[in-house]
Amino acid sequence: MIARKAGAVLLHATLLGLGLLTVAPFVWMALSAFKTNAEINSLDQTLLPREWTIENFVNLQETFDILRLFSNSVLLSVTITSIVVYTSALAGFVLVKYEFRGRTAIFAFVLGTMMIPWAVTIIPRYTMFVAVGLQDSYLSLVIPAALSGFGIFMMRQSMGAVPDEVLEAARLDGASETYVFHRIVLPMSVNAISALSIFQFLWVWEDYLWPYLMINSPEKQVLAVGLTTFSGRYGTDYGGLFAATTLSIIPVIVVYVIFQRRFVAGAASAAVKG
Amino acid sequence: MKRSGALVASIGVTALVLVGCSPGEGSTAVEVTVAPSGLPVQGETLTYDPNRLVNDGEVISLDWWLWDGDEVFQAFADAYTELHPNVEISIVNQPWDDYWTKLPLALRDGSGPALFNIHNSHHDNLIGYLEPYDLPLDALAADYLGVDAHLVDGQVHYLDYGLMTGLVYYNADMWARAGLTEDDHPATWDELREVAQRLTVRDGDRLTQAGFSFNSLFREFSLGLPYQEGQHLFAADMVTPDLDNPTMLSVVERFLDLYEVDQVGSKDFGPVADESFGQGQTAMIYTWGHFYGSLLEDYPDIDFGTFRTPVPDTGEEPYAYDRYNGESTTGINAGASAEEIAVAQDFVRFSLTHADLMRDLCLHYSVLPMYTALADDPAIAAHPVLSALGDVDRYIWPGPLPAAFESSVDVMWEDILYNGVEPAAALATAQQTVEREIAHDGFVSRENHYAAYPAER
Repeated sequence: MIARKAGAVLLHATLLGLGLLTVAPFVWMALSAFKTNAEINSLDQTLLPREWTIENFVNLQETFDILRLFSNSVLLSVTITSIVVYTSALAGFVLVKYEFRGRTAIFAFVLGTMMIPWAVTIIPRYTMFVAVGLQDSYLSLVIPAALSGFGIFMMRQSMGAVPDEVLEAARLDGASETYVFHRIVLPMSVNAISALSIFQFLWVWEDYLWPYLMINSPEKQVLAVGLTTFSGRYGTDYGGLFAATTLSIIPVIVVYVIFQRRFVAGAASAAVKG
Repeated sequence: MKRSGALVASIGVTALVLVGCSPGEGSTAVEVTVAPSGLPVQGETLTYDPNRLVNDGEVISLDWWLWDGDEVFQAFADAYTELHPNVEISIVNQPWDDYWTKLPLALRDGSGPALFNIHNSHHDNLIGYLEPYDLPLDALAADYLGVDAHLVDGQVHYLDYGLMTGLVYYNADMWARAGLTEDDHPATWDELREVAQRLTVRDGDRLTQAGFSFNSLFREFSLGLPYQEGQHLFAADMVTPDLDNPTMLSVVERFLDLYEVDQVGSKDFGPVADESFGQGQTAMIYTWGHFYGSLLEDYPDIDFGTFRTPVPDTGEEPYAYDRYNGESTTGINAGASAEEIAVAQDFVRFSLTHADLMRDLCLHYSVLPMYTALADDPAIAAHPVLSALGDVDRYIWPGPLPAAFESSVDVMWEDILYNGVEPAAALATAQQTVEREIAHDGFVSRENHYAAYPAER
């Protein structure tokens, strides 16, 4: 009993230590956002600012148009995440609950798409999108992300755990396939949907190279690209960068807090054999 | 029913936004029917007459991509569009590193901007997409230095508006504490060694203030100072690199002596010399003009002074004080429409002849102006960096050096300082590396364009 308690205390202490280690850089960044560049670059470093300043935040809208960039990123992240969750759930449902010729081959193909490095396809993809006139349009960011191999895989694995008997009972009661999917399967997959939502939202939120290549107009640009403009050829405005980055992680924290209860369960459910 | 309607409406709004119908900044350009009149013609030999319509007064928009200094370049765009309200120039600021990924892709696929800033290190990637300047070359050469070094098949696609090079920065407070005045600015390397010793502070055996540091700034002096003694970076054929020579070795040993003989600094004291200077640990460093901006922005508490790069012998004008690199003028996209190219050509001519804006640009980047109209400009003469450099014509440009030179010199110094490799052996390795890496580049040096280049070599 004592040994078990001691083990639990040790485990929690270790986890607390690792948690603090993980959070420390974010805390340092957030506090440094209230320092001047001179203090950030000084040899004598302190965690708390010696002189607190909100100048970095005040200048953000004037020099950086953070509200527009922030709105653009929120719009894109929410839109793409919604589309990916729906298409992944739909494809996952079909691949796990319907019997048809080629089902395994299609799933293997979906998994195969995850094996191709992003960097290999980016230039031909860029050329294709420019050729069809989609440059500087958000469609160029939504279309390639609308179907996710990872999402389909995750939802297929999760939906495999939904008992066939429940679906059959609904069908016997006269439920259509649309009804079965939307009213029965989706609610029973909410943990996996939460996990996928978090993953997908973060990927879109921090995606940099593709939005940078496709979007030219400053007013349509996303936050991840905007943040890089703090680093010039000869130096970096660390104060501005830290202030903008501190603000940019707020939605990520909000999304995680909303979904965190279901996140672990959802991530674990994807491991269930389909 | 209501929910369905709301869903359809929200999907519609989202779709509109996604296809790019978001309320953006509308064009501010307006059609013009009457040409400006009575405005002064600007420029020296190369002139710009604003008293005419551009693009027949019809509205036209140009994109201008750049990676830095948007506010100073915006001034050019604003001045031009004030003269020609039918033209809109939209500046798009990009991150430096990825600019060189996106720009060539966009130019290749026909979606690039009409105007884009150039760095000459990317010359080979860009030259195929550049429209030659539609400017009289004799007038251009009369007003701008170094034009002939930028001729490609008898045409100029861009040139240098300013020259950036190296100089010595010193901490003025440490200088005064050591009992030194402005009269003590070293003119020779031997004098610098003496001054550095006076500026060095120790606590017993421990170094607490370096008199001079060059940690991580190796490429700056190694590829510039051999010129002081007439040693070029390339053989007479302008193609074969020449790093492994006695002059280069003497430069390496001179700097090594600062640490090993004079002990005015250490490889272990402040791993990055310019940061160490900014943090008040080091009294003197040698670096390029851009550090001035970093000092003002990142280290405003450091009171500093500058002086020109010392030379080997007092009273003797060196072959060249140092190597320089040019800050390039704007490029014009050869793939843009004929109307865009015509307006872009007009804008470039306007920019090259606007002395006030050109002065501001040079001051912003701490570069010596290549525009001869600014040769005696008081604001340039008063600038701490530019006043230290002296005559623009005593600096040599080897051309847009392949990156292999700088990276090999960095490795050479790291081997010498941290891996115990003998200087001669490290130099030989650097020579071999550069030879191997630029063998198929087709790079041709511009050293022979230097005014003092020997006729017999």
